[in-house]
This record gives sequence, structure tokens and C-alpha cells, in this order.
Amino acid sequence: MGALATVVDLILNSLVLGGVFLIVAIGLNIIYGLNRVMNLAHGSLYALGAYAGYTLVNLGGNFFLTLLFAPLVVGLVGLVIERVLISPMRARPMVYTLILTYGLMFVMDGCLKYFWGKETRFIAMPEFMTQTLSLGPVQYPVFRLVILLAIAAVMGGLMLMLGRTRMGVNMRAAADIPEMVSAVGVNLRMVQMGAFVLGCVLAGVAGALAGPLFTVYPVMGHGMLISSFVVVVIGGLGSLRGAIYAALLIGVVQTLAEFFITDLAMVLVYMMMALILVFKPRGLVGEGKFE
Amino acid sequence: MAPAAGARKHNIKEALLFLAALGFMMALPMWLPNRFYIRLVNEIMIYGLLAMSLDVLLGYTGLLSFMHTSYLGIGAYITGLFLMHVAPGSLWLAILVAVAATMLVAWPVGWVQVRTGGLPFALLTLAFGMMYFTVAWKWYSLTGGDDGLMGMPRPDITFFGLTLASSGDSHAMYYFTLIVVAVCLLLTWRVIHSPLGAVLEAIRENEERAAFIGYDVRRYKLLGWMIACGLAAVSGSLFILYKGYVGPATMDAFAGAAVLMMVLLGGMGSLWGPFVGAAIFIFMQDYISTMTENWEIFVGAVVILLVLFMPKGVAGLGGLLSRGQKA
Repeated sequence: MGALATVVDLILNSLVLGGVFLIVAIGLNIIYGLNRVMNLAHGSLYALGAYAGYTLVNLGGNFFLTLLFAPLVVGLVGLVIERVLISPMRARPMVYTLILTYGLMFVMDGCLKYFWGKETRFIAMPEFMTQTLSLGPVQYPVFRLVILLAIAAVMGGLMLMLGRTRMGVNMRAAADIPEMVSAVGVNLRMVQMGAFVLGCVLAGVAGALAGPLFTVYPVMGHGMLISSFVVVVIGGLGSLRGAIYAALLIGVVQTLAEFFITDLAMVLVYMMMALILVFKPRGLVGEGKFE
Repeated sequence: MAPAAGARKHNIKEALLFLAALGFMMALPMWLPNRFYIRLVNEIMIYGLLAMSLDVLLGYTGLLSFMHTSYLGIGAYITGLFLMHVAPGSLWLAILVAVAATMLVAWPVGWVQVRTGGLPFALLTLAFGMMYFTVAWKWYSLTGGDDGLMGMPRPDITFFGLTLASSGDSHAMYYFTLIVVAVCLLLTWRVIHSPLGAVLEAIRENEERAAFIGYDVRRYKLLGWMIACGLAAVSGSLFILYKGYVGPATMDAFAGAAVLMMVLLGGMGSLWGPFVGAAIFIFMQDYISTMTENWEIFVGAVVILLVLFMPKGVAGLGGLLSRGQKA
């Protein structure tokens, strides 16, 4: 492969990786923006999305329909979590929900191991997606392109939803001044619940997409959780625009680091994060810009 | 009664309780049936010290560290490496070097973490913790990778030139751990009850007000962090001396959750609580992990239930009882 081909390859890989980070991190930020809860079980919900996709494909489901249904399963689990665990904790300091969701993470990981076993799983893809497409100088796997398109579609849909629908408008308003939204007669609890479930659905989407991309195993969520924290902290807590910049940045840096130094690549990513935080302690965009 | 006299009376009561606990722990090996239990209690003391250091951070300064075991791990690795490659016989020097080196690692990390505020602080402890874990796991030539650090020499326990016993002997190691932990506990008690401790608590209660009065909040938080990491490094030294081995699993995310659970079980904001929490946790682990493979689910579920129904832990239960007596 020529130098140009390698460069194009690396760019596309960075976009795919950054895109997956973005969807997970935006889910975290939406939950945080409205609920003031940092969900540490988010990585496990992502893993659940991947396993749900795996099982649905194995049951003979269409690959693309699976991409729709797996997130719904995760959303349903998210709804139960919100009702049973998160909503009684609203009045308590944030430390408690942090520790609570940390416990939840281990329960969920344990359940994944219990139901699906510790073995690594692979998601079977439709025939045409296993081929490669020639893009100028490179041969690029079709499924990576499909995933890239799917990520773009999800982000586009999310933008439309937050920008144009009533629920989206309510969410953006409630992230800014919850009391005011409550005062004009919107049920704030419903908006907060909706945001939590939406965040979980996004984790599920990322999981279902990442299943074929990486492999599926019980603790696959841990690395993703940490990476999405890095994205969230660099971008600024609760800031959607910040998450976009940060996810692309981390995607590029991690892809390059893995290409050049392999084993200790993540150390480089953390170093960069520390460096950015030295100069911008509140993240690139600043906290709480929910737009 | 003047408040100062009341405080002094309280101090005397605490000192008597401390001496009683120390005496009990001194005598405990006589009643334990075999070496296995001596080692189990030894482990409880080590993890109790670690949990106490996390509680100094969480209970007194309000900062949450998810991966406090990282600093136990770093302390243990450095102690081991020092004994293996630099000076095989110098036990005290190894512990000093481990504490100093761990604090050298913790300082820049803490500096970055403190600048970002409360919640990012907690998230960053997780990220940096995973970074340490990756280094311990992947840097094969230094740390032994997945196998861990093996073949550490067993230095003699000496005191001012007097050789007392070998650290390989479990009785000797038990008393050595007990004395080091007791000294650490006393030092921490002194710090918590000094003006510095009062400032830390003030910051936990109302950060803005403490800043308005003129305290450099970030500097004090960093100081709290350094104390906690230094104590964790001591527990790390004790850990590798007791086990003779340290591996990356000692510092993974699950180990971090276990320490957090010890603090929750014991109750935040008391120095003895974490030791009780460590005792409950390690005995439970010893019994339940032999019965079921799904120990993880169990730990997670207990953490959830504790947060939901008993956020003050066992220490809080004690407070509740004594309040009931007074009423």
C-alpha cells in the first residue's frame, strides 16, 4: 500500500472510531445535561447493545433491522434503570449516583457474562458488507463505510430531534433552566426520563454499530466508558458541540497512536488529555453548552 | 462545660478506644486457629489502611477517587522493584522510596485533576487509573506484565540496626503491618484534627465560602489528595511485603470498586469505619467467592443497596444508635 493509501485509510479509520466515541459520549452528555447524573453504567449499556445485536442477528434477524431493534432493547433497560434506581436519588448529592451507577456497571457486566458467557463473539454481516470498495487508491471495507453512514444518519437524526421536535426543544430548555420549563407547564420529570432513555438508546446504537467493528465481549464497555469520559471531559461537561470536536480529536489521536506505537497507545491519549486540561480546565468549549 | 474541655474528654475517649483496639489486635493471633486467618486479618489491615486513605479524600474533602487501588499498586510495584534491583535488604528505605515515588507520580496527576472541578475529578481518576493499569499490564520488561512482579527478596525487619524477624514469616509480618498501620492511623488522626483538617472539611461543606474567606481551595484539595496517595503507597508497600507478589489485577477497575465499597460499608467521614468495612468485605469475599462465580454481580448489587438504603454505612448506624440512646 502506498503512502497516500495509508493516509486515506487512517483518516477513514479515525472518522469511524471518533464517530463511535461521539455517539457514546453524546448519550452521556444528554443524560448529564438534564439529570445531573454521570452514568458509569453507560459502557455496560453499550456492551448490552452489542450483545442484543449479536443475538438478534443469530436469531435470523436482518442486519439493518437489528441496528434499529438492539437500541430499543437497551432503551427499555434504561427506562427500568431510571425508574428504579435514578429517580429516587434525584435529591441526593451527585457522589451517590456516581457510586450507584458504578455498582450498576458491575452488576450489568456480571449479567452479560452470566447470560452470554465469557467467550468473544462475532456478529455475522450480510454478504456484500464483507467486501471491499476501491476508493481512489485504497481498498476500503464496505462495512466500515456503512457504519460511517449510519453514524452520520444517527447524528443527523439527533440534531433534527433536538432542533425541531417539541421533546427536543423541551430538553434543550430544561438543560438551561429546569425551573422555567416546569413553570410553563411541561412535565419536567417526563423530559428528564426521556433524556435518560435517549442517552441509553444512543449507547445501544453505538454498541450495535461497534459489534461488527470490534469484537463482542463482556467487558468491551470498560474501554469505551473511559474513552467517552475522556471525550466528555475534554469537550466540556454536558456540552454537545464540545463532544463533537473532542470525539474527532480523540479518534484521530488514538488511530495514529495505535498505528505507530501499538501497545501503549492509550497512554499517549491520556497524556494529550492531561495537556489540554492544563490549559483548558473546563474543556474545549466549556461546561453546559447544551446545543 | 467549655467546648475545649468537652473536646478533650472526647479525645481521651477516642485514645482509650484506640489503645483497646490496638491491644485486641496484638492479642488476636493467639485466638486465631491457623496461619490462614492470620494472613486474612493482615490483608484486612492493609486494605483498611487503603480504605481509610480513600475516606480521607472522600469523607473529609468530598473528592471521589474511583481507582484508589492504583496508588496501592504503584507503591507495591516500586517497593518490589527497589528490593529486587537496588537494595535487597533495606526494608525501611524501600518503603520510603515507594511513598516518595508514588507521591511524585500522584502530584502532577492530582494537579491536573484538582483544576477541573468535582465531577471531572472523579472521571479523571478513572481515566488515569486505567492508564496505570495499562502500563502495569503492557510494560512487560519492567512489571512482568500479566504474570506480575515475581521473585521479590524477603528482607529482614530491622529496627535501628536490630534484626527482629524475616518479613517472610506471617506472624512477624502481622505485627509489622499492625504497627505501621497504627502509626499511619495516628498521623492521619492528627492531620484531621489539625487546622488543616478543619479547612478540608470547610471546603467539602461549602467550597465557595471557603474560597471567599481566602483559602486557596485548589491547593488544599491537592494537599488532601497527596496525603491520601501517600497513605495508599504505604498500604502498597505492606501489600507486596505480605503477598510477596503484585500483579495488574490488584489495580483494575473492579479492585477500585471493592475499596469504594469498603468505605461505603464502614461509613464515610470516620477513620475507624473503613477498617470495619474492610473486615466485612474481605470476610464476605472469602466466603462467597468460593461459592459462586458471580461475585461481581453480588458486589455491585451490595453497592447499589448501600447507596439506596444505608448511605451512612456501619459508622452511621452507630451514630443512629447513640442518638437513639440520648433521646
